[in-house]
Amino acid sequence: MKKILLIVAVLMGISSYAQLTKDFVKDNYIKIDTTITMRDGVKLYTMIYAPKDVSEKYPFLMERTPYAAGPYGDKNYPNRIGPDTNLLKEKYIFVYQDVRGRYMSEGINLEVTPHIVDKKSKKDVDESSDTYDTVDWLLKNIKNNNGRVGLYGISYPGFYATACLPGAHPAIKAVSPQAPVTDEFMGDDVNHNGAFFLMDNFEFMNYFGKQRTGPVQDYESEVFKLNPKDMYSFFLKLGPVKNTQSEKYFNHQSNIWDEYIQHDSYDDYWKARNIRPHLKNIIIPTLVVGGWFDAEDLFGALNTYSSIEALNKQNNNRLVMGPWTHGAWAGGDWSRFATQEFGSNTSNYFQDSLQTVFFNFYLKDKGQSKIAEATVFETGSNQWKKYDSWPPKNVIPTAYYFNANNKLSLQKGNGADEYISDPARPVPYTNGIWGRRNNEYMAEDQRFAAIRPDVLVYETDILSDDITLSGKIMADLQVSISGTDADFIVKLIDVLPDNEPNIKNPPKGFQMAGYQRLVRAEVMRGKFRNSFEKPEAFEPNKISNVQLSLNDVAHTFKKGHKIMIQVQSSWFPLVDRNPQKFMRIPDANESDFQKATIKIYHDAVNASSIVLPVLNK
Amino acid sequence: MQKFLPAFLLCLFSFSSYAQNSDSAWFVNNYTKLENYITMRDGIKLFTSFYIPKDNAEKHPFLLTRTPYSCAPYGEGKFGAIWNSYRMAYAKENYIFVTQDVRGRYMSEGEFVDVRPFNKNKKTNKDIDEASDTYDAIDWMVKNIPGNNSNVGVIGTSYPGFYSTEAALSGHPALKAVSPQAPVTDWFMGDDFHHKGAFFTLDGFSFYAVFGKPHPVPTKDYGKGFTTPVKDNYKFFLQTGAVKNLAAMIGDSIKFWHEMYEHPNYDEWWKVRNARVGLYNIKPAMLWVGGLFDAEDCWGAWNSYKAAEFQSPQSNSKIVMGPWYHGQWSREGSFLGNLRFESNTADYYQKNIEIPFFNYYLKNKGNVDAIAEANIFFTGENNWRKLSKWPAENVEYKVLFMNANHMLSFAKPTQQLSFDEYVSDPSHPVPYTEDVHNHRTREYMTDDQRFASRRTDVITLEMDELKEDITVAGPVIADLVAGISATDADFVVKLIDVFPDDFEYASNITGNGKEYPMGGYQMLVRGEIMRGKFRNSFEKPEAFIPNKPTHVKFELPDVAHTFKKGHRIMIQIQSSWFPLADRNPQKFLDIYKATDNDFQKASIKIYHDTVNQTKFILPVIK
Repeated sequence: MKKILLIVAVLMGISSYAQLTKDFVKDNYIKIDTTITMRDGVKLYTMIYAPKDVSEKYPFLMERTPYAAGPYGDKNYPNRIGPDTNLLKEKYIFVYQDVRGRYMSEGINLEVTPHIVDKKSKKDVDESSDTYDTVDWLLKNIKNNNGRVGLYGISYPGFYATACLPGAHPAIKAVSPQAPVTDEFMGDDVNHNGAFFLMDNFEFMNYFGKQRTGPVQDYESEVFKLNPKDMYSFFLKLGPVKNTQSEKYFNHQSNIWDEYIQHDSYDDYWKARNIRPHLKNIIIPTLVVGGWFDAEDLFGALNTYSSIEALNKQNNNRLVMGPWTHGAWAGGDWSRFATQEFGSNTSNYFQDSLQTVFFNFYLKDKGQSKIAEATVFETGSNQWKKYDSWPPKNVIPTAYYFNANNKLSLQKGNGADEYISDPARPVPYTNGIWGRRNNEYMAEDQRFAAIRPDVLVYETDILSDDITLSGKIMADLQVSISGTDADFIVKLIDVLPDNEPNIKNPPKGFQMAGYQRLVRAEVMRGKFRNSFEKPEAFEPNKISNVQLSLNDVAHTFKKGHKIMIQVQSSWFPLVDRNPQKFMRIPDANESDFQKATIKIYHDAVNASSIVLPVLNK
Repeated sequence: MQKFLPAFLLCLFSFSSYAQNSDSAWFVNNYTKLENYITMRDGIKLFTSFYIPKDNAEKHPFLLTRTPYSCAPYGEGKFGAIWNSYRMAYAKENYIFVTQDVRGRYMSEGEFVDVRPFNKNKKTNKDIDEASDTYDAIDWMVKNIPGNNSNVGVIGTSYPGFYSTEAALSGHPALKAVSPQAPVTDWFMGDDFHHKGAFFTLDGFSFYAVFGKPHPVPTKDYGKGFTTPVKDNYKFFLQTGAVKNLAAMIGDSIKFWHEMYEHPNYDEWWKVRNARVGLYNIKPAMLWVGGLFDAEDCWGAWNSYKAAEFQSPQSNSKIVMGPWYHGQWSREGSFLGNLRFESNTADYYQKNIEIPFFNYYLKNKGNVDAIAEANIFFTGENNWRKLSKWPAENVEYKVLFMNANHMLSFAKPTQQLSFDEYVSDPSHPVPYTEDVHNHRTREYMTDDQRFASRRTDVITLEMDELKEDITVAGPVIADLVAGISATDADFVVKLIDVFPDDFEYASNITGNGKEYPMGGYQMLVRGEIMRGKFRNSFEKPEAFIPNKPTHVKFELPDVAHTFKKGHRIMIQIQSSWFPLADRNPQKFLDIYKATDNDFQKASIKIYHDTVNQTKFILPVIK
């Protein structure tokens, strides 16, 4: 979640923003710094930038954020405001608000504020009511508005955009949740299928988890000092997750970290933080945006979209998925990423042809809404595709079976493969030595993993035709383990031909030939295989079925390439290590971690497979 | 050998387009080039090229290099760009440069024999070897090239290092000084193509596919080598499988490749190809030069020097070892891979050691007082040490024991029956370096070993943080007690310096220009492989008795390194080093004849208890 701050900060001022004069905002907008009182008396700090030009009335475009609405003070203007420069030039009344309990706002901040369905009193507040009260105040107090409000936000602010939808103020006419935090147990930020994303959260909560006693412009220091040069070594030395609460680190100084450590299954805490069931009957126009290489909230974008679709057929809901990392669509040039050339500037396309069009149409009645139901960038073939549903209708789920001799085939095979998963030597999620998360890991060459003895590899023959996948992927594993719990990581990989030309200006020795490009990967904490609420131990060495879904892809495996699957039982330090012993992992001691033999079956009776969404062209 | 070519040969220079810079103009104006065949005692003619100074104010010495890599550029109008290398310093001293194609290579006649055995009992003019060819060449030179001072020096790096060693055995009285540099010395024990009997496929295959081509008549060009269809060499060698499949790929024309396959053990064929056998009664002054991190012939430099000292104690033999890759002493010497040396060590060597050495012995100029018996650069402390002997006089051999919990310590283990175990799987061999490569990297010998410590098939042992510096100077002995589930296995032992977590080089120290996280760096100081079946004898391999604790003791090439206070000493043990070394099928057999089906997983136990002690002997300077 934190990343977005960095990305936007870095990309700002490059690309299209460069065409703005430095004082564009100051020259064209008037700033109002104020607080707005919520129904329970709590005051939220709000900054309003209204166009100086009063020849027409303007809609509001608001971002609600836990990351500081600053710069604070009505004399301080940022270089840019709003989601993109087109909209800035279009003129909107831009509003930034510190959410409840963060920075300059009063009140208490709750992690992914639970939605209250049945509000009984003015004390029952949530993000929906806070947005409602804010909108109400804005309409009444800010001159020259046209009575319409739009909301947007990326990452955590994406959640706040989504959260205004149930029980929305009638003036809210357009909402764009972008990489919205949606379900932090199932697939966003904190956990994926119940497996804890240790590295990201440890770093993020060191900043975000800092407590305050009242409104502040700056949280100043972090909870503890941290400057690791080698994340893998750092977390391995740190040991079990419980050690994060040692005196040197969180030491119970972050409520949210305490909550993460406390809630290690899909209990009421996490369910209350899943906004999806509340996205009923949403008819407000929505534009849900996500990135295929978003390490934080890819799940959130896909599932916010699909929930709105599922819970009301009369929705006015659209999806945009591009080849982006977390928030890259909001930045400058995005024509290439991790050795892939997209052939066009995909972030410009989004800003110019989708985001601006969306808000202008629904908030200003300007232009036409020609945005497709789903606008999806297909990697591999590197082109934008438009569909009238997502996933597209003509998709055939196709099982590819694991076979002996590292083969992946449409036919079932025989035999089994095994490896030893050793928590003292977990499989790295990335190659090399990193002092932070490698932002390219979701598209990284997996050859570093394929050569390990604790990673299983299955690949098809060389493809004689293109194969396009569009939609969700299911992995269906028949496993037995010598311990009582284990993690399963399944990776879908595009193997480039051995004669693939090298990239321009490759680093010394770099070989694109035979590159194993990660297309999608997901982890499943084995004990949740039957229920995320009630984890179950494995019976050692007995065959069990472990199914997991991998987030959607839109990818073409080109003729001459191969489809590869890798299976492994750790993904470190992205994900904390499973002690391979059935227990509450946050309670595990170093001595609980044990080696386990993991066997993956692929015979006719116990067939393991990956079910791919093959687009029938 | 990755065909080490001196810088001046890398840049061929046409006479017609000279004068690109003042040095080239100077050289072309002050030297003439002569090409000539010199007839050997058996009538065979060797192609020789001379760069002769125009200066005739005094007589000049020769500096001769004999090479299998060609004395190109051919043609008296074409100059090798000597001015692009430090050899320009010799040109300013008016040396006569001589390069000769060795017998059977390029433009020379005769039959080429790889690392041709030294014949100490030559009886007739038909009994030739590289020493006699050198003798005959020198004899002709001093008699026929005008203006020479009858002093000859020989210099050469890598394979030409071997020819330098052999030159020293020629016994020609005009030969006054020889500098074998990274000399190929023993291709079974430690140089280029085998280390302790393990086959270095990666180097060997890329080299021999072109080097080993037949030479029916003199030629200027051997043509192209074998292009591997897969550029990822780990993948290529893995999918190629058993080494006999490699031989099939390049056909039958590469004679030496097939001869090697016929000699899997250290038999007579190999023993006569050990250049040390001739190192008796050496007459000229010798300067042995090598790189501590030379992936090809580090072993040869150390061990030729040692053999010369032992077998020819009266000789004037000195050694220089710097922190270098193969031939780096003629290039930039401030860094290697991620390591930085805080000074240009190559420049130091050229100016203070090599040039004074030849000037003194060939021109009677200056002195050699500053050249010690052993001139060794110690990494870690980044310092040249001048030693009166190698290994250093005040070395104490200290024993480090493997202990439980992956600890290394000077204390003996106290547990009953204790071991660490891994599964060595020939279908997932441990890579010798990180990332994907087409060619063998020259940096691997100082690489960060963190990629290896993260694998389940590598045992990593670590000492506590050092409270004071420990300097090692000499060979390291690994003495493992291993139990393997099969009948053969390889053992790779790596000595590693673990840098402190907050380690950084100061920004003003010259490095390779890349940012690399040096905190926690696991610097390979020395790695070596031992093919287990040779543990008792390189001549007669022996199968292991499965699961029986067995001693595997072997020597790693000498090291010169200071583990600084705050660092840690680490040892890694693994059973493959791929594709640097071929895979052991883990089945006792002639590996050159193994088929893909012979390769099997093996469980490897390394013991560390009161009875079976695995230990490492370090040469620590007191």
